[in-house]
Amino acid sequence: MSFRLRKTIVIALALGGALAALLLHLLESSNVNANARAEAERAAIVTLRAISDTSGWLGAEGEGVRAAVASWSGGAEQRKVRISNTDNRTIEASSFPEDVANGELPRRMVRDEKPIYDLGQELASAVEGNAGGAAATKEVVALEWSADGWLKIATPIFHEGAVVGIVQTVSKPAAGATIAVPWWPLAVGVVVICVVFLAGAFMIGERKLPLLAFAALLLVGFLVYGGRAITGALLEQRIAISTQVAKQVVEEKGKALAVMQTAAVAAPQFDASLWDSDRFLKPRGAIKPDLTIDRAKIAKVVAGIAEANRSVMIAIGLFAFVLFIFVGSESAAKSWAALVKYREAYSYVTPAMIGMLVLVFFPFFYGITLSFTDQNVYTTNSPLKDLWVGFKNYTEILGDFNIMERTDAGLQFNYKNFYWTLFMTVMWTVTNVSIGVSLGLLLALILNTKGLAFRSAYRVLLILPWAMPNYITALVWKGMFHQQFGVVNQVIQMFGGTPVSWFERPLTSFIAVVATNGWLSFPFMMVISLGALQSIPADLYEAARVDGASKWQQFTSITLPSLKPALVPAVILSVVWTFNMFNIIYLVSAGEPASSTEILITQAYKIAFEQYRYGYAAAYSTVIFMILLAYGTWQNRVTRATEGI
Amino acid sequence: MRLRIAVLSTLAMLLVVAPLAAQEITIWHAYRGGEKDAFEKVVAQFNASQTKIKATTLAVPYDAFADKITAAVPRGKGPDVFIYAQDRLGGWIEAGNTIEPIDFYLDKKLTDRFIPSTMQAMTYRKAVWGLPLNYKCLTMIYNKKLVTTPPKTTTELVATAKKLTNASSGTFGLAYWYSNWYYHSILFNAYGGGVFAADGKPNVNNAANVKSVDLLMKWFDKDKILPAEPSTALITSLFNEGKAAIVFNGPWFLGEISPKIQYGIAMLPTVTEAGGKPLAPWMTVEGVYIAAPSKNKDAAFAFAQYLTDVPSAKVMALSGRQTPANKNVYADAQVAADPVMKAFRAQVDTAVPMPNSPEMTMVWSPVTTAMNAITKKALAPKPALDKAQAEVTEAVSRLRKK
Amino acid sequence: MADRTRTGDTPHLPLHIFLLIFTAISTYPILWVFTVAFSGKQSLAFVDLPPNPTFFDRLRGVIPWPDEVSLANFVSVMTDQPFGRWVFNSAVVAAATTVVGVAMACSAAYAFSRFKFPGRRLGLMSFLVSQMFPGTLTLIPLYIIVVQWLQLGSSWLGLILVYAATSIPFSVWMLKGYFDTIPRELEESALIDGASPARIFFQIVLPLAKPAVAVTALFSFMTGWNEFILAATFMDKEPMYTAPVGLRFFVSGFSEQWGFFAAGAIIVSIPVVVLFMFLQKYLVSGLTAGAVKG
Repeated sequence: MSFRLRKTIVIALALGGALAALLLHLLESSNVNANARAEAERAAIVTLRAISDTSGWLGAEGEGVRAAVASWSGGAEQRKVRISNTDNRTIEASSFPEDVANGELPRRMVRDEKPIYDLGQELASAVEGNAGGAAATKEVVALEWSADGWLKIATPIFHEGAVVGIVQTVSKPAAGATIAVPWWPLAVGVVVICVVFLAGAFMIGERKLPLLAFAALLLVGFLVYGGRAITGALLEQRIAISTQVAKQVVEEKGKALAVMQTAAVAAPQFDASLWDSDRFLKPRGAIKPDLTIDRAKIAKVVAGIAEANRSVMIAIGLFAFVLFIFVGSESAAKSWAALVKYREAYSYVTPAMIGMLVLVFFPFFYGITLSFTDQNVYTTNSPLKDLWVGFKNYTEILGDFNIMERTDAGLQFNYKNFYWTLFMTVMWTVTNVSIGVSLGLLLALILNTKGLAFRSAYRVLLILPWAMPNYITALVWKGMFHQQFGVVNQVIQMFGGTPVSWFERPLTSFIAVVATNGWLSFPFMMVISLGALQSIPADLYEAARVDGASKWQQFTSITLPSLKPALVPAVILSVVWTFNMFNIIYLVSAGEPASSTEILITQAYKIAFEQYRYGYAAAYSTVIFMILLAYGTWQNRVTRATEGI
Repeated sequence: MRLRIAVLSTLAMLLVVAPLAAQEITIWHAYRGGEKDAFEKVVAQFNASQTKIKATTLAVPYDAFADKITAAVPRGKGPDVFIYAQDRLGGWIEAGNTIEPIDFYLDKKLTDRFIPSTMQAMTYRKAVWGLPLNYKCLTMIYNKKLVTTPPKTTTELVATAKKLTNASSGTFGLAYWYSNWYYHSILFNAYGGGVFAADGKPNVNNAANVKSVDLLMKWFDKDKILPAEPSTALITSLFNEGKAAIVFNGPWFLGEISPKIQYGIAMLPTVTEAGGKPLAPWMTVEGVYIAAPSKNKDAAFAFAQYLTDVPSAKVMALSGRQTPANKNVYADAQVAADPVMKAFRAQVDTAVPMPNSPEMTMVWSPVTTAMNAITKKALAPKPALDKAQAEVTEAVSRLRKK
Repeated sequence: MADRTRTGDTPHLPLHIFLLIFTAISTYPILWVFTVAFSGKQSLAFVDLPPNPTFFDRLRGVIPWPDEVSLANFVSVMTDQPFGRWVFNSAVVAAATTVVGVAMACSAAYAFSRFKFPGRRLGLMSFLVSQMFPGTLTLIPLYIIVVQWLQLGSSWLGLILVYAATSIPFSVWMLKGYFDTIPRELEESALIDGASPARIFFQIVLPLAKPAVAVTALFSFMTGWNEFILAATFMDKEPMYTAPVGLRFFVSGFSEQWGFFAAGAIIVSIPVVVLFMFLQKYLVSGLTAGAVKG
């Protein structure tokens, strides 16, 4: 009786379960800690805003703010409060020991206190930017956790609608310490499913499919159990938290009124429920103006969180299953065996592969990840998961079918549209590669003529376009196409023609860029073909001649097939390179007129560096990649390039 | 024995020197040629003037500068100080962890040394982020052989230019890169136009801008005093061949003028059509910025102060041929006697700082397209600018979150 | 008569005429670069005409020849900046890129050509695929890897590795295609004679693949030779810059000194031309025919 299958599958189950348990544990730990921190932050913001509003009513100076600092300092969370006036560059009141050590308060800030002032300015500019025409909304509450669990938080003080200062607090909420989540319930779960599997396996016997199905069922059960334990009773938790916050708001309101009374300043009418806000000072809405909680709103928020948790759970499940299937279907064992058997081949490939992985594929995956976010210049420091937008960039690019637009001059192509640019890019690539290959091959064949005088001189002269940095030659070409002073128009005029304004119409502009790039790309193809022509044994031709084959027959039946192994990859790669040839378009036509000769890569560049939309540009780049990949696959199928001969 | 003494004395020297080891700061800049030599001279003077700070410099090509800063500085691998025009300032500030605000260091005595508009260029959302070092703006440069008295108004300008234009030989009375929005700034600023409204919203198609383009088209199309398809390379060629009598260009152009051409510099004329307002160029200001992750900020600021002081400004003006933002240097006898310095100092009073907000970057491509369409007569000024306005507004709105 | 084997029966005169015309067209823009470089001025390739130009005025205008020949631009380029040093750096970087890139590519291409192993197709495809992702947004991730993680900022090794990795895919495909055309019987007989795989590779396969190695070497060299933005971003010391970085100093913002740039570009092109002249003989070695027979 054999146990091989059962052994393999129980190992697969254990590994898959262990991976799922590990990921679930990490998710739970981060959830628990993040929730605790979010809760502490929410409470801290309420207090902070109470202090900030009170200080604002008092004009951020005088005895009143000192009373406010005294009133809100200390307590179970060991809170310290600092109120600074950025207009006067003073620290008005503070319970931070180091402030008092630096000199009696209120006083002007000293050099070491620059960060306080800078933070005040930063928050003030965020307020101004949010109100004005700035492109992005910025957080108005600065927040930072120290490694040992202190929460530092700051917000501006408004007085009569203008920012006059900044209030900072530091406190040590209970949530500051990392909460250890027990790992053993999940570990026990894994052991349990393995034991159950072994028990069941004895009844099933060495039958692969039933065994796999049984194990998979157990794994799903484990995932459901683990997920349940984690997402738990969200709604109840949230309502409890909001109730707690509502209570806190009432307390802070009382403190604020007391401080105002001490300062003998009348407090204006205010809505304390607004203190429960996010970091943009937008009210969370969980607390109504009468300071009771809004259950419907909370339920809606919870539904959103549950949704997010579900997708993470699905991802974890997928990972676990991939590992399970990989091991369980014996693919792992086969892979290992292959690795050992072909170790010589693999060791030859490894150095190149490692270089590629690190220096080519990492940036590639970075780009793909970026394409699912809406990162832009304002958000380069935010974690990518906060900027996640899914496929939005892609639907925006591919779903825009406004290829035509109505203008005063009638219906016209919309040159900014993706599909127009794609059309242009394909035209550009096809034309250039055809020119490059046919010229290159023709010249190589001529230069390969035995006994031709000055061969090497021609060869050297003909590679010059490739040898010279294209930055300058491209601009010389642009100069040659100048309307008044360009060589091309002068030659046209020499023979009585009228000068052409090359960059005025899409077609002529296209001709100009293609001429430039064709000129630049034929030497490469010529060199490749020269090398490849050498692989053709001379006796093949001799044999053909003996058989009475004509020149053309020799070319099509000997030369072309023999060039294929070298020429096909060269053509594929030159398609890829031409498709992404940035310099020539950018330097020669610059997309003129009206972006009509833009190709996809120059468009992606403009989106990234002129519109600062990095995520969108990355999606654009990924679309370019997909198109080329589709091309490569098709070409490969047609020519069987990867099969070798 | 000798060796041992040598080793001992070296050790002793190290012990003495070690506590006094200077703070090292690095400065990145994009200067070349004479400007670079003058800058390095100032840095050497700074190093000689005191022992606490040692400054070293790195020249980075202009084309790579912004990318290099964006890649290196936020990762703590960059310099302590860097010098660049203000047009990228807003973008770097918004990206964060790149430029240190220096408001806190400033006092009236320090800010008063600068031409006020250059200080404005360093200000983003009310905070100051750098000390202005040199400014650059367009002015009128003319071929003395062809133009004896430089025109004072646009009416005179057109009259003079018409006389000197001969289309058949490609000779033009006036040449400048008019299809470029930066060069076109002289005209729309004269009419009181611009690209952003007071609240910071894009405002490319305002009436003043349209009027300014109308006037340009009159010069180009009706008066025919301008060459087609202008570019820096073309303007340089024409002026050096004596085929452009008057050009509107910046200080960088002076180094490219052929020694055979006798040139003069004069204030840009006033615009008769805009009620006698002067042509007002956009000004770019090279700011000295302190890198946010720098560990030697105080030393960096001390250096920035030294660099923008009169003695340094004098070196850069006289041997670097740059135009310093420090206004006191123009009182110096040698600088005051220099016609180029005098001309640019006069011109800067009409100049308007180019916007430094990140939204400005989104303006360039649409207005370039619009100006090309207008000068190629594919579109009339108003619809072309309307289209640019729509594109800029959309680009800006795409970045707005929430 | 031995050399009239292939296309030898074609008359040479029409070929020469075609080649002359084509060479003239293809070198024409380059002649403008030379004109600008030797003019001693900073203007860029525009036609200078007298009033009411005749046919011959225009003809004179379109012939690239400077009004007066001057070496001033070359002198300035070499003395203003340590340009010689930068060209040397470029040579070191590009040469090392060639060696590293071609070595890795040869080894990988040989495996792809001679062994059938699981993942072979996938591996080959992945090399091809890597070329398809556009490089617009790769500066920052490359900076993170090379400068932050590998700590290879301001070192030649960092640049060499990046350039080599960039050139590998093309080289692998090129070499694999060529190795495929070399008959296996040669190796098999050597194997029977007791030669080691390394010996077979170096003594039999590599000499036969000389044309392909020459092509890939030239390509790898060019990859490292002309690259600008990575070199400018990774290097934090002026003496470490490469020639393309030095060249770009001449065109910054509105200031464009084309005379200097053209002179520099010519200096930069010389090593490529020299390298090509050296590699030419391998491109036309044609050893295969003899070897198969033998």
